[in-house]
Amino acid sequence: MSAVAGHALSLQGVAKRYGDFTAVQGATLEVGNGEFLTLLGPSGSGKTTILMMIAGFVEPSAGRILLDGRDITALPPERRDFGMVFQGYALFPHMTVAENVAFPLRVRRMSRGDREAKVRAALDLVQLDRFADRRPAQLSGGQQQRVALARALVFDPALLLLDEPLSALDKKLRAELQEELKALHRRVGRTFINVTHDQEEALSLSDRIAILNHGNVVQVGSPEGLYERPATRFVADFLGKSNFIEGEAAPDAGGMALRRGGTVVLARGTAPAGKALLSLRPEKIALLPGGGVEDNVVEGRIAAWSYLGTGYAVTVATQDLGELRVHLPAWRIPVAPSEGLAVRLGWSRDAAVAVAEDAA
Amino acid sequence: MGGYRPGWLNGTIAWATVIYLILPITIILPVSLTDQRFLSLPQHALSGEHYARLLTTPAWINAILQSAYIATASTLVAVVLGTLCAIGCWRLSRRSTELVRALMLLPIIIPSIAYAIGLYRYFAGLGLLDSFTGVVIAHGVTGIPYVVITVSTALAAFDPRLESAARGMGASLGQTLRWVILPRIMPGIVSGAIFAFIHSWDELVVVLFIASRRVFTLPRKIWDGINENLDPAMAAVAVLLVGMTVLLLLLDLALRQQRRD
Repeated sequence: MSAVAGHALSLQGVAKRYGDFTAVQGATLEVGNGEFLTLLGPSGSGKTTILMMIAGFVEPSAGRILLDGRDITALPPERRDFGMVFQGYALFPHMTVAENVAFPLRVRRMSRGDREAKVRAALDLVQLDRFADRRPAQLSGGQQQRVALARALVFDPALLLLDEPLSALDKKLRAELQEELKALHRRVGRTFINVTHDQEEALSLSDRIAILNHGNVVQVGSPEGLYERPATRFVADFLGKSNFIEGEAAPDAGGMALRRGGTVVLARGTAPAGKALLSLRPEKIALLPGGGVEDNVVEGRIAAWSYLGTGYAVTVATQDLGELRVHLPAWRIPVAPSEGLAVRLGWSRDAAVAVAEDAA
Repeated sequence: MGGYRPGWLNGTIAWATVIYLILPITIILPVSLTDQRFLSLPQHALSGEHYARLLTTPAWINAILQSAYIATASTLVAVVLGTLCAIGCWRLSRRSTELVRALMLLPIIIPSIAYAIGLYRYFAGLGLLDSFTGVVIAHGVTGIPYVVITVSTALAAFDPRLESAARGMGASLGQTLRWVILPRIMPGIVSGAIFAFIHSWDELVVVLFIASRRVFTLPRKIWDGINENLDPAMAAVAVLLVGMTVLLLLLDLALRQQRRD
């Protein structure tokens, strides 16, 4: 076997219970070399607890954590060699930017000369070389975030852990720093593990996303994979928006057919005969006429609509399928929307995907 | 800035309280400058002779130096023990540590005369009566509460994520304490040290009980002097004591101000 630069982390049935309350129930997860993995979930889903167990601040009630195959479950945080960006950054207010970044090196008793060179390189990496002598309080939120990144990376950690790194920033700055963080990950080539409740951030940053709910890892996959093929109702609903159609499924020549009332909806994939649930993304529905040949055509009336700048969000009431949410780019809308207007909706067979109902 | 304006009654009461507090202290200033040979207000002119005598009489100089030495040494004891106790309670943070913190405040809660009697009995067996070590220990222990209070307050404002951050970056407990926790709570430690120093600087009751011939602190010298004669030099000493205390309080205030900016 040849040596590799990055490091791989493996969680095996890691759980955390506080008395009667179970914060994480048996999470099993593989994080590959140099991968950017995001733990995504609503608040209380256990994502931060998992990160804190990886960092060593929270002791698992069960399960093992392995780094490159070595068991580190019992190792205290100061001996794990992981870089971490805390929520709110946790910069030392009594130290300058350079002193903050030098801290992990000082702890490791590195000589002053080596330390200065490394600090300069780390500050260059996040484009903050001009701010070395400032105090954290004199920096903007975005600059503080970059200091925290430099401090977490300066000692060449095995992993970089990020706890909601962008949540304290305003929307515009957040988008900017997302780009930077992604570029930084490509440049340093290390394994990043990020925690967030922001699905857009997760989609744009990650190589893979692990979706959590009620302390369970519900689904792990690439951003496209999760968005296009959500496994459960929760995943389809949490990652983006979705319409749900419940009905009786039966096999069909091109995939499956789902009957609800007098309407049959064609979908890809296979489902055992019986009750089934389909997820249908609002942006995959077209308002007819327009588009090509549609596998599914449904009639309804516009119940509500709003203009979003990039397009329209229209809610259409149908007889059998209930209310369907439709997102249309402004240039693809064939009529001026108005409430009560009769419309025809169409979507292809590939647009709908069968998902599992959430476990109770 | 608008807002609340006190009425005349409130204003009068407030000023009366201030005068009530300050007047006994201010009276010693003119008395210390009297041209008479006994404790009195100046008759014909202001005179600095009592201050001059204070600084040339070996007995007074000796008392000032003794007080300064004891206050410094006992402050050191109080700061080290009080800070460690406060940090320990903060880190463990259980119900039992709340009890320990409450116990640490005992020296300022129970009457000092009761404390002094206890110390007298205790120190007699250890041979610590009338020794500098004995007074330093006594003042050090009774100074601990001030340090525990100010350091605990400083720790309550300390962001625990900073400690996690330091440990996450590989810092040992000692390194975290030295480079992160202590610098952050230093204003609280300095405040506690100032109060502990003031406490020892003007403490009389305990010294009266455990000291006899060798240890003569400034308050004790005044006490003896006032019983034996009515030398105005005592007013000058009193001004010195008050001046020192005010100076230290101003220093404390300045440090707090600086931290806020």
